[in-house]
Amino acid sequence: MTAISFTLNGRPVSTDIEPHRNLVELLQRFDLFGSRESCGQGLCGCCTVLVDDKAVSGCLYFAVWVDGKRVATVEHLDADGRLSPVQQAFIDTGAFQCGFCTPGFILMAHQLLKEHPNPSDDDIRHYLSGNLCRCGAYPEIIEAVKLAAKATSKAAA
Amino acid sequence: MIPFEMVEATSLKEALSMLDPQEPAIRPVAGGTALMLMMKAGVFQPTRLICLHRIEPEYARITLGASGELRIGAMASLREVEKDANVAARLPVLHRAMRTLSNVRVRNVARVGGALAHGDPHMDLPPILAALGARISVAGPKGERQLPLEQLYTGYYETVLDRNELITSVLVPPLNGRKAAYMKVTSRTADDWPSLGVAVSFALADGAIRDPIVVVSAATEKVTRMSGVEKVLQSTAPEDAALRRAGDAAADEVQTLSDAHGSAPYKRELLRVYLRRAVRQALNESVH
Ligand SMILES: Cc1cc2nc3c(=O)[nH]c(=O)nc-3n(C[C@H](O)[C@H](O)[C@H](O)COP(=O)(O)OP(=O)(O)OC[C@H]3O[C@@H](n4cnc5c(N)ncnc54)[C@H](O)[C@@H]3O)c2cc1C
Ligand code: FES
Ligand code: FES
Repeated sequence: MTAISFTLNGRPVSTDIEPHRNLVELLQRFDLFGSRESCGQGLCGCCTVLVDDKAVSGCLYFAVWVDGKRVATVEHLDADGRLSPVQQAFIDTGAFQCGFCTPGFILMAHQLLKEHPNPSDDDIRHYLSGNLCRCGAYPEIIEAVKLAAKATSKAAA
Repeated sequence: MIPFEMVEATSLKEALSMLDPQEPAIRPVAGGTALMLMMKAGVFQPTRLICLHRIEPEYARITLGASGELRIGAMASLREVEKDANVAARLPVLHRAMRTLSNVRVRNVARVGGALAHGDPHMDLPPILAALGARISVAGPKGERQLPLEQLYTGYYETVLDRNELITSVLVPPLNGRKAAYMKVTSRTADDWPSLGVAVSFALADGAIRDPIVVVSAATEKVTRMSGVEKVLQSTAPEDAALRRAGDAAADEVQTLSDAHGSAPYKRELLRVYLRRAVRQALNESVH
């Protein structure tokens, strides 16, 4: 067991964890299920988590490594009771069917919009190429990202 | 994954002292993306991992030397290489390849040292850096040594590194007008593992190719320099017939291997065609 302390969705937390656990398993102990392991191989993005503001695959990230870091999951996006522009855009465009992949896509879309506030289709396809949607909602997901980009730039103006 | 111990080194020297030349179950870990896959598959079961995250920050830097040589620290993340302004301006071939090397999340976490030391012949950085004439700096108990990257690989997942040695940086010479290209041929998505990788670099003098370096990966057991093809290309004008001869020579020179990304005969035909395309792409490239 290793004692770790980190910031989880804005709150300081501490726990003990075995070195062979990954970040998804750690989050489950905090009743956070938005990041979920699917492929377990870094390919699909269902397990996306932000560590120190960078997106990682929770399934391929040792839990002990978050010691001293800031961890954010999809659950932090509506902490103030309001959906983020990206979350709202996914609903408005119907960018999912079963919703299993959605938390990962939403977190990656937030990162994408931070780097490319006004993304082209190519930027979106490239940035999200590591996220898979088995329901095939890709066209709507691209629409959602564009809608969120518009909503964000309007809110900033 | 089965239990093991994770210890954190706070300096390169400490990391080296924690490694054991006789003990394969003790390994350094950089980004952990390759190791975790092997551990999940049960093909690697460590007793102890030596985490390199907290060694001196200089080993994560990307710096430009006075001679134009780029020094990329082994602990730099792949994403840092992708976003580095000097890499983008001076080595467009490397910059462009980073975009299709896996995905953003893996690039955020994986480090250059891990990408070079892993020894999987399907990886993209080794053939590109070998074609650019890069050297690596390796630290061990007896001090630091340098070797050409192309000499790192001895077989499938095998390198010349001792168990108590660490790559500290990769040194990439300036192109100095040389042309370079890398063709990543995938059979599924663009950012998948390649069926074939071909990297070339050469100078161009009076319309003829000079001092070519040609490297093949993914289709072969290890990253392999093709000296036979280089001889065919040397001093020839890169016209269709000459490139066809070089492609045929490439298909004859190496033994291709079958895997999930293509059969050996298929990869041989890919090599024949993509070698020509690599040279053409290098010619069309505007390089600084
Ligand atoms: C979904 C996915 C897709 C991928 N697609 C591609 C792709 O298209 N192209 C591609 O090239 N790669 C691809 N990769 C592989 C990826 O590039 C490697 O997993 C990564 O580069 C390994 O780096 P790491 O820091 O995570 O290594 P680690 O897992 O930490 O280490 C890998 C190996 O290197 C050793 N090591 C690490 N650092 C050093 C050092 N400084 N000195 C000596 N030994 C060291 C470790 O002991 C271990 O044996 C993909 C990976 C994933 C998960
Ligand atoms: S579960 Fe981690 S990327 Fe698929
Ligand atoms: S909505 Fe079902 S997997 Fe994407």
